[in-house]
Amino acid sequence: MPSVFVTGMGIVSALGIGTASQREKLAAGVSGLGPAAFLNSIHKTEFPFGEVPFSTEELFSRLSDYSKLQQSRLQALGALALEECFTGLERKPAGIRQGLINATTVGGMTDIEDRYFELIKPELSEPDMSWAAGLDCATGTEHLARQFELTDFVTTISTACSSSANAIQFGARLLQQGAVDRVVCGGVDSLTRFTVNGFNSLKNLDRNACKPFDANRNGLNLGEGAAYLLLESERSLEKTGNKPLALLSGYANFNEAFHPTAPSPEGLGAYEAMKRTLEKAGISPASVSYINAHGTATLNNDESESLAILRLFGERVPPFASTKVYTGHTLAASGAIEAVFSLLSLQHQEIYPALNFETPIEVTGLIPCQTYRQMQVEHILSNSFGFGGNNASLLFSRYD
Amino acid sequence: MIKPIFIRTARAVSAQDSFNSNDLLQPGRTLTGNRFTYMEPNYQDYFTIMQLRRMSRITRLGLVTAIECLRDAGDYRPEAIIMGTGKGSLTDTEKFIHAVREFAEGTLNPTPFIQSTYNSLNGLIGLHHHINSYNSTYVHTGFSLEHALLDAAFQLNEQSIQTALVGSFEEMTPEHYIIKDKLDFWKKEIESPDAIMKSSPGAISGEGSFFFFLDFQQGAAPLQLVDLTLVFEPGEGAVLNAMDAMLEQQGLGWDQLDVYLSGRNQDSRYEHYYAEVENQLSEITHQLHFKHLSGEFDTAAGFGLWAAVRMAEKNQLFPSLIRKQGSAPTLNYMLLYNQYYGKQHSIYLLKKT
Repeated sequence: MPSVFVTGMGIVSALGIGTASQREKLAAGVSGLGPAAFLNSIHKTEFPFGEVPFSTEELFSRLSDYSKLQQSRLQALGALALEECFTGLERKPAGIRQGLINATTVGGMTDIEDRYFELIKPELSEPDMSWAAGLDCATGTEHLARQFELTDFVTTISTACSSSANAIQFGARLLQQGAVDRVVCGGVDSLTRFTVNGFNSLKNLDRNACKPFDANRNGLNLGEGAAYLLLESERSLEKTGNKPLALLSGYANFNEAFHPTAPSPEGLGAYEAMKRTLEKAGISPASVSYINAHGTATLNNDESESLAILRLFGERVPPFASTKVYTGHTLAASGAIEAVFSLLSLQHQEIYPALNFETPIEVTGLIPCQTYRQMQVEHILSNSFGFGGNNASLLFSRYD
Repeated sequence: MIKPIFIRTARAVSAQDSFNSNDLLQPGRTLTGNRFTYMEPNYQDYFTIMQLRRMSRITRLGLVTAIECLRDAGDYRPEAIIMGTGKGSLTDTEKFIHAVREFAEGTLNPTPFIQSTYNSLNGLIGLHHHINSYNSTYVHTGFSLEHALLDAAFQLNEQSIQTALVGSFEEMTPEHYIIKDKLDFWKKEIESPDAIMKSSPGAISGEGSFFFFLDFQQGAAPLQLVDLTLVFEPGEGAVLNAMDAMLEQQGLGWDQLDVYLSGRNQDSRYEHYYAEVENQLSEITHQLHFKHLSGEFDTAAGFGLWAAVRMAEKNQLFPSLIRKQGSAPTLNYMLLYNQYYGKQHSIYLLKKT
């Protein structure tokens, strides 16, 4: 298979805007979780959230150009990550076909939900109704694609919590099949009353900061954010002269067909997704330097993911941790956000500490890496697992 | 954009009686008004009352369509399940939005939230048949089905898989109809039963579910998907250029097209796209359309693709689809062109095996 090069990245999360802000807080072990300020929900202070610490207006004020965007928190978050992704790079090189593979779980729900009940009254209408299109997941994607001239191929993927990991996989496939020369892949989700109440109804929100891989974990925290990677083919690199940050060397997706929302206890899907990813990359488990775990801190996920890791890596489990305790679970954005964290680790040859961990899960005994560490990082496996048994893994490798 | 793959079986639930017969040889159902709704299959044949109670309207529909498509294929182990839907289960999304308000963010039933998730049907199909496979769900309005097909085709082309189940599902609700009405999606004046045949701004709303079993090799497949090209917000002439390039790559001329399937919906704002294609066609080509029987929706092209598969299998045109009879004695090459409100344009080149 032709190589897939990562040449750009951009990110917004509860840790702030931009990769520098993320790295600083990750290295210092500073979480972005806290009460929500901008979410319109009675639960805003009841649970900790990984909310991006700026109002929508402030987010827009930090953009250099948003002439083609709508007044939307989702689009503002996406655009900030996309602007950073192209830092120092030419936006639209001549003769390059470029696209956007976006991911989202509920599209512009945040922007619409407060006005939904006026929207469904036939008699209430205003001259410009274009904001109402935000309920379609494609709307935000298309505005972002136009703003950043990524219109040669435009799509949106929604597979719950694995959405942007699947977006990165599909982008890689588009490059490898020669459908485009380069493609921006990632995802965006903004906190919504809809989703907060959805997860609350499933009773898996922790009232405190989550405790990934801890025996006493008690659920997840929700977050918001956006992240994108610029993937280029060899042909594109020859034209752009861009220097790769890393390689996307493997990826896989596997539906374990066990339960609508819960993973199988033994982590079949997680195991197959990780195993197939390494097989695609042609490397052995022993070569993996670090695992960026899905680690949502729900009772089900962390135990089944641990069992899958033990099955695949045996006695030699590499350092691993979950960053959900820093950002909250950003759903469709999480796969891309954690891909950026993995790229930061590869770039700076360092790994970041797990927070809030005290007691190992009894049946697995696995202990995540709890200290900031400088070490040789060659290959990072990053996991994203979602509703509907959708399990995706990505492998990022150092490029010299 | 792809190398050829094969469509072994196809199933459709639409506003027509397309599901039980799996063809359109019977006279078309006369539809009136501004919203065409699909004909419900007999769910009791598939599920217990308890199972049905847990599934919402579009979820049960999609699952039944998938079940029959797999049964026809005689293969319950596709190596990928890939779906496209513009809007997912609107009923569940709306139910949950209402519940959040009604119960003031209190204790809520999670079922509508779970089923509002766009990939929940994908997961359910996997669960129903215990299919461990690749799975993904595309939610990009008028490209949703096409992106699902492309994803499958790429994997079949690179032979990382040999078979795939690709499907779409779309419903329209009274609430969402109002929202899309405010966005000028629909025709305003429907004074006669054949309003769908008259050119005016807007379309008639529709819904349906379509499933296809794809294979990397021919076997008994009646139809080959030779190529699929997508154009987003095309500039002047871009659609015809894409078609010319596609035909040229296959060494075909316009006069070698036996059948043209048009996504025409009599929306006067975007009709010129279809008119430009029709100008290229020769007298040989049979010109067909299908939205007068299905209405317009994000994944409506699936109805046209289903019809192409079934016409190839039966080696005859469905009379209710013929808009202009051509002279071609065979049904070898077919061109399907669809566009969704001028933005997403899809071009399918198909060949009867």
